[in-house]
Amino acid sequence: MELQPIYIQILALVIFTIGLIVALSRRNIFFVLMGIELALNAVNLSFVGFAKTLPADMSVAGQIFPLFLIAVAAAEACVGLALVILIFRNRESVDSDNYSNMKG
Amino acid sequence: MLALIYFVVLAAIAVVAALGVLFSKHPLYGGLSLVLTMLSLAGIYGLIGSPFIGVVQIMVYAGAIMMLLVFVISVLNAAKDSKTPMFDGVSIFVVIAALALAGLVGFALVLSPMGFDVTTLRGSVEMTSKNLFDTSKTGPGYFVLFEVLGLLLLSSMGAAVLMAKKRLSSEVSEEDHKEDK
Repeated sequence: MELQPIYIQILALVIFTIGLIVALSRRNIFFVLMGIELALNAVNLSFVGFAKTLPADMSVAGQIFPLFLIAVAAAEACVGLALVILIFRNRESVDSDNYSNMKG
Repeated sequence: MLALIYFVVLAAIAVVAALGVLFSKHPLYGGLSLVLTMLSLAGIYGLIGSPFIGVVQIMVYAGAIMMLLVFVISVLNAAKDSKTPMFDGVSIFVVIAALALAGLVGFALVLSPMGFDVTTLRGSVEMTSKNLFDTSKTGPGYFVLFEVLGLLLLSSMGAAVLMAKKRLSSEVSEEDHKEDK
């Protein structure tokens, strides 16, 4: 028994699924943001795991790209939390069901 | 064999902490579980030979992003509706759909042959910096992406400051600015 790349992909899939469920089913707006972060983490892990299955000159891209993804996630968290603060000032609520203006 | 043991331990910690995010009531506990997930994923990066990404993950993700998230959760903690139920009736369909998606993708993953390549490059600082800042004309050109990323971070910082600050012409009531420093 050695470490196989499929184990890494299965772990990334499990974490991505949990992140998707958190982002789509929780009502608290902070959990929605945390679910997105969890899914982005799983995508990073999948990139690195696939990069390790490639020969030398092709394995660079999969190990550079997570750095860009981490920076994009930082920008996303920054703007998303500013949006949460803005909405919280208007609605006094962190429940995403209270944010809808329209009926239905 | 030893690598597999390390991987199983770290993966178990990561999955349990991710489930902790899903089932925790208060967002602060969810944020701390998320930090634990990110730390164990950083350990897995170091295990499979990309230590630089692991260090960046600890510094940027677990250090900066989650600190920001936990800070905002603590600032907005006075929300009166922290007692609302965690899930609602639609959630069960979401769970079923996400599990079906995971089953399909997992089926495709298990069928595909994969193996570690022995000539793969270790994601060290030298490899990362050599490829990231290769400004030669025949290089991969990641430095352009790097500049674009600087602009993206700058603009998102400006957008966040503009959105979250007090309104300049604010005669609106004072109590909705109490969370400002």
